[in-house]
Amino acid sequence: MTNDVHPRARRSVGRLNAPRPALVEMHVDGSPQLVNRQRVTFVREEWRVVDRWWTEEPVNRHYFEVVLESGENACVYRDADAACWFTQRA
Amino acid sequence: MIACLLIPGFELRAALRSRPGVELKPAALAPVPGTEPLLGPVTAAAEAAGVRAQMRLGEALASCPELVLVDPDPAEVEREWEGVLRRLEDVGLAVEPVDPGVVVFETKGVERLYGGVAEALQRALAAVGTAWDPRAGAAGRRFAALAAASVARPGQILIVEGKEEREFLAPLPLSLLPLHPERYAELEGLGVRKLGELAALPGGAVAERLGPDGRRAWALSRGGERRRVRGRAPAVELAEALSFPEAVANELTLRRAFGALLDRLLARPDRGGRPFRKLAVAARLVSGGSWRRTVTLREATAERARLRAALGPKLAELPAPIVELRLEAVELADHTGTQLALVEPRGQELGGRLREGLRQVRASTGSGSVCAVVEVAPWSRIPEARSLVVPRDE
Repeated sequence: MTNDVHPRARRSVGRLNAPRPALVEMHVDGSPQLVNRQRVTFVREEWRVVDRWWTEEPVNRHYFEVVLESGENACVYRDADAACWFTQRA
Repeated sequence: MIACLLIPGFELRAALRSRPGVELKPAALAPVPGTEPLLGPVTAAAEAAGVRAQMRLGEALASCPELVLVDPDPAEVEREWEGVLRRLEDVGLAVEPVDPGVVVFETKGVERLYGGVAEALQRALAAVGTAWDPRAGAAGRRFAALAAASVARPGQILIVEGKEEREFLAPLPLSLLPLHPERYAELEGLGVRKLGELAALPGGAVAERLGPDGRRAWALSRGGERRRVRGRAPAVELAEALSFPEAVANELTLRRAFGALLDRLLARPDRGGRPFRKLAVAARLVSGGSWRRTVTLREATAERARLRAALGPKLAELPAPIVELRLEAVELADHTGTQLALVEPRGQELGGRLREGLRQVRASTGSGSVCAVVEVAPWSRIPEARSLVVPRDE
């Protein structure tokens, strides 16, 4: 018979692959030009995720999978509601 | 004396704790899905509107269209009931819970401490708190104590002396007896409406007409047997919970989450190496209600595979998607030696090495530093909703 859950139980459960804020400059068409001060050489793929619109935390993201000038692959998205850019492993 | 403390409609009251304000409206505990559509306990406002407990749902809604149906919340009921029992134990009472909302205890051990039966019961009512509207009864036998508590008003104490029990029970209604509704109708058809009228009948004739249940009811109407109260063993406080970022119904995900919870429960140092005798799986449903199943193990064990085999199938009984899964150790057995295997199962050695490696990492970096990734919604389009990082302190 229970009682309160062990404090550690709730405190330390975390999400994997949480989005991190990114510094992005974009072209006039909305595609990223600079990601964290590195030039984007190629946009490999782009897609939209619109989900949970029936909840109080709707998701409306425009994802871009890009190749940076250093050769590194990166995945960034623009949150349409917050008008901010984030980087995340998709 | 044997005392009984009663909180009528405890399931509804507990479910309404998270919905303040509803207790003042006409509200009733909704029927459990898949069972006969009969209402559970109802609020005073619902009673005033003509709604009764055990009334058919359609009939209740027809007579009171504004009736609020409250989903059953067994996990909350369990939690609140445990709190009530602990508060009673804190004032020195060895309690024997009967049902949520009904508890019996002996007053003998605390009469001298508090200065009498009435004072001890007053103390018990104060410990429970006025918010629950508890009432108490005391008598020489259990059933008489329960009957006394049933007719007492909220906060009132009713003490029935031994020689007055028969007279006290005689005018009370038959509804106090644990009988099937058809039996009440049968007895009413025979003109028996009071406990005294049933008690006056010959026991053999009652048994012949109503069977073993009737015989038991007849014995209760005469006061019932003199059975001692056995205080419960102290409850343990071991529980682990996992909240999901979004509602989950997939059995594979549930089993993975359950596995992670089991690992964490087994790793709790306060278990002290003792095996589990009784466990409970509980979940908070996306609709707001809760679900709970308890499993008593035939042989107390702390083996992961056995526990998974015993509890895992219960997850298939979940009635709706859930947002939180919880695993509780209800009862632990004493530590006993276990028979070692002659031939170790395959992978045991590798598993042992892995555990030892992780133990060393934890020893050098601290608790919570070793985590496992649990996939909770691998199909989700939102990357951060697919997996959780759960501490692995095994």
